[in-house]
Amino acid sequence: MSHTSPEKNEAKPLPSRFQVGKSTLYFDNFMNYAIKIGGIGVIAAICGIFIFLTYQIMPLFRGATVEFEQSLDLGDLKISAMGIDPWSQLPLFVSPDGTLNFYDIVDRDKDYNRGLFQMDPGLPEGMEYPFTRYSNHEDSAIFGTADGRFAVVQVEFESTHPDYRGREVIPKITTTPLFRIGLENGEFEEIDYVDAGRSKLAVAIQRDEEGQRRIFAVTFSQNQPLIGDPVTVRDREFELSDLFEGEAQFLRLTGDSDFVIVGTDIGELHLLARERGGFTNRQTIQPFAGRESDTIRSMNFLSGRLSLILTNEAGEMMMYSIFHSEEDDHRILGRTKEFQPALPTGQGAAYFSHTPRNKAFLVGGPNYAQIRYATTEAIRWDGDLNFTVEHALLGRRYDRLLFVDTENHLQIFTVTDPHPETGWKAYFGKIHYEGRTEPEFMWQSDGDDDFEPKLSMVPLIWGTLKGTVFAMLIAVPIALLAAFYTSQFLKPEIRRLIKPVMEIMESVPTVVLGFLAALWLAPLISARIPSVFLIILSLPMAVIAFGAILANLPIQFRKFIKPGYEFLYFAPFMMLTAYFAWQMGPLFEALFFRVENPETGEVVGSFAVWWTETTDYPVRLRNAFVVGIFMGFAIIPTIFTIAEDSMTNVPQSFRSGALALGASRWQTAISVILPTAAAGIFSAIMIGFGRAVGETMILLMATGNTPIMTANPFDGMRTLAANIAVELPEAAQGGTLYRSLFLGALLLFAFTFFINTVAEVMRQKLRDRYKAVE
Amino acid sequence: MNDSTETLQQTPEITRKEMDNPDKTDFRQDYISFRNYNFYYGATQVLFEVNLDIPERQVTALIGPSGCGKSTLLRNINRMNDLVDGIRHEGELLIDGTSAYDPTVEVISLRKRIGMVFQKSNPFAKSIYENVVYGLRVAGRKKKSTLDEAVETSLRRAALWDEVKDRLGESAFGLSGGQMQRLCIARAIANNPEIILMDEPCSALDPVATGKIEDLIHDLKKEYTIVIVTHNMQQAARVSDRTAFFYLGKLIEYDETEKMFMNPAQKQTEDYVRGRFG
Repeated sequence: MSHTSPEKNEAKPLPSRFQVGKSTLYFDNFMNYAIKIGGIGVIAAICGIFIFLTYQIMPLFRGATVEFEQSLDLGDLKISAMGIDPWSQLPLFVSPDGTLNFYDIVDRDKDYNRGLFQMDPGLPEGMEYPFTRYSNHEDSAIFGTADGRFAVVQVEFESTHPDYRGREVIPKITTTPLFRIGLENGEFEEIDYVDAGRSKLAVAIQRDEEGQRRIFAVTFSQNQPLIGDPVTVRDREFELSDLFEGEAQFLRLTGDSDFVIVGTDIGELHLLARERGGFTNRQTIQPFAGRESDTIRSMNFLSGRLSLILTNEAGEMMMYSIFHSEEDDHRILGRTKEFQPALPTGQGAAYFSHTPRNKAFLVGGPNYAQIRYATTEAIRWDGDLNFTVEHALLGRRYDRLLFVDTENHLQIFTVTDPHPETGWKAYFGKIHYEGRTEPEFMWQSDGDDDFEPKLSMVPLIWGTLKGTVFAMLIAVPIALLAAFYTSQFLKPEIRRLIKPVMEIMESVPTVVLGFLAALWLAPLISARIPSVFLIILSLPMAVIAFGAILANLPIQFRKFIKPGYEFLYFAPFMMLTAYFAWQMGPLFEALFFRVENPETGEVVGSFAVWWTETTDYPVRLRNAFVVGIFMGFAIIPTIFTIAEDSMTNVPQSFRSGALALGASRWQTAISVILPTAAAGIFSAIMIGFGRAVGETMILLMATGNTPIMTANPFDGMRTLAANIAVELPEAAQGGTLYRSLFLGALLLFAFTFFINTVAEVMRQKLRDRYKAVE
Repeated sequence: MNDSTETLQQTPEITRKEMDNPDKTDFRQDYISFRNYNFYYGATQVLFEVNLDIPERQVTALIGPSGCGKSTLLRNINRMNDLVDGIRHEGELLIDGTSAYDPTVEVISLRKRIGMVFQKSNPFAKSIYENVVYGLRVAGRKKKSTLDEAVETSLRRAALWDEVKDRLGESAFGLSGGQMQRLCIARAIANNPEIILMDEPCSALDPVATGKIEDLIHDLKKEYTIVIVTHNMQQAARVSDRTAFFYLGKLIEYDETEKMFMNPAQKQTEDYVRGRFG
């Protein structure tokens, strides 16, 4: 039979008793696919999360896009300065004849188009205004006459929505009288005017007959007549030319009218402070000292009138800001940024325009333009222009670029840049923020017009690591020792009781722990920090001492303590020790943390004061120490359970082998169990670590959520996870904050992914090394 | 072999009787002695009124069908059952005249006197060298020369030296099954015990490895009291001087091996050794 040909074999039907049931096959097939789909689905879900997060944060690392919108002919309109309304749709042109001209660039429909129209601010007619200036931030134009007078024209824009044709902007104008400043026949080179409520200041640079530049300041006060509007009255005049060397070339006033910043023709910058009814030269700086060119070519404020953007003849660009100096309490001017690379033509900026919306500014030369962002020092956009620029303007909403070229055409471009303040440097670099004394990592997302958002991820990463480290410091020793004791020394019947209890502990909602930490433990501990220290110190010492006494007891006495039941003697002893340590805390504090009250000379024991005096760090109610304890409680069960399993799962034969050779339980545990269970213990720690990194509620409730970067254990912090929870309600969908939170989420995801991968790889390696003989 | 044991002689607690009095021939007949011994796992009684005297420097085999209590009895000798939940015993177990369960007896020193080889070889996840010296290390011996000597002596006695002398630093897991079991014997010998307990030492080994272990047992009985649990009747017949037959926790018969196999007094014994049940 066995010699039959193969063909015959195939033809022979299989007896039904050997056939597999159809339903068995179907079910087997179905389950095969179901399991495959499940497995692939999990992997796809992980990839999906990763892709989604990446997709959400991609726009944060893109530059701006600029597209040509339209070109409008301005005819023979004479233009000496340019501005725009807050909605970027009604550019205005200042003419030297004393008029303001508006161009409605939104083409609503055929029947309604205002096009170019003129408004007369009501300045004396028939006069020429050789000096004009328009401040886009304050919506005001300054007109300077040839005979040493000037007027400020305030424009107010009103937005209306007539007949559902979209927004229509109506300008309204108020004009001051002509005020005298400086020389009667001096030619104005620059005038700046600040209205800081009651205090108003105008400063002007004029050329006298000999061609010398001189600088004058006039203060104004506001008189309130019985009836009618307040009247601005010219107060006093000062000449500031002698306060510094060289001739004033550039001039800007700070928004509070406290400072006059003057740039001179010899490349110096002077901070003139207005104090005691006069002016003093507070500070002299050479901004481009030692550079390719030390001559200042342009000097302009960013919005907020706190930060100056300076360029020199070589096109190098810097930012100087006013901030409080650390040494004395004065405000000083200091370099906060340097923009790299320099302007491409190797010349200073021919024009400059900023937007009040953020810290972006438009800068460039006749045939090119750049949008840069001051906070991050980044170039958002960079382009060549096919016309020659005469005037340039960055739209108020950071949505348009407007240029007037030499042909008197208005060239309009749209800017698309939803996240100008972001980028690698914004998230991970040290940045000198406006008003701060030094470059820092800061997170403070709620920026507005005058206040730049600070988006550094570094304090959050720091906070995450700090919280995790403190939690691990508490959790790892306790959890591992507990697992060690439970698996190796405790009677099995008690072990069977402890494991489920620990697992229940693991399922306690962390919000409960966070609540306890914030409201119960934080006040308790911050009042008794020395007690806690004493407990941490005394418990292990007491246990070791107790163990030593026990080990040296003659066997006649020791025989009463059954192996596996030692805890019955240890536990009360440890509780007593902890109680005494807690009670001894205040005494300990009074003895070792003595500080003298400098006013009364009284010596008191106070840890908080002592700590602050010794380390210069504060002791706060909600701090990393408290968080560490409660986070510890949250992750102890995780570490304990996995570590205990891995130790219990060491083959019994290893233990028997060691014990039979006369090893004590301790020797067995240390020399045989521990190395064999190392892989499991390691992954227990790593999983605990991963859990601590992602833990949110406890940190949210008990850290105070202050995104500061100190290692001080008695200070708060903010973690990536808590940050997402805190700021999510504030984040508009698709906004910078929204995407920044996604960046935080991606970091968190990458971090835990990395840790878990490392843990798994290490575990596999260790497992191979200590593989038990099967 | 003798010159290497001399170095171990210097440490008093492991001094061997034989060395004190090499001509001694009157070995104790009740070296390990169970008197009216009952043993319980919780409510289950495993051993019933066992009375058994195991002689010094002989091989005693414990045979019987599975679950008859022979392994339990063996594990009572070095108190390996201590860690099991709910155990209880009645009666007396004397080792060289002292009660093994006396509260003043340190279980650790008891186990140092009694080596044990398990059914499944269980080397530690350490090198061959470290496996052999483990017992000495936990006993606090650190001197390199002492340890080196012990390794060579023990491995030679366990007939493993020539096979592993060039790779003492390698993991014990690289050895074959039979080598591992001999390593476990070497590990037990390194402690220089008085008694060696063997719990089915060859059940996981092939006939060649088994043969080597049996030869080894023959050699070892000159110096050690050996108690071996085995399921293999031929093995019991080959290696042991005396044989005890257990059935359902009771000691049915205990006599010279030859007599047990040739002419057992009890019917149950005869049935078992003839292979009629078990």
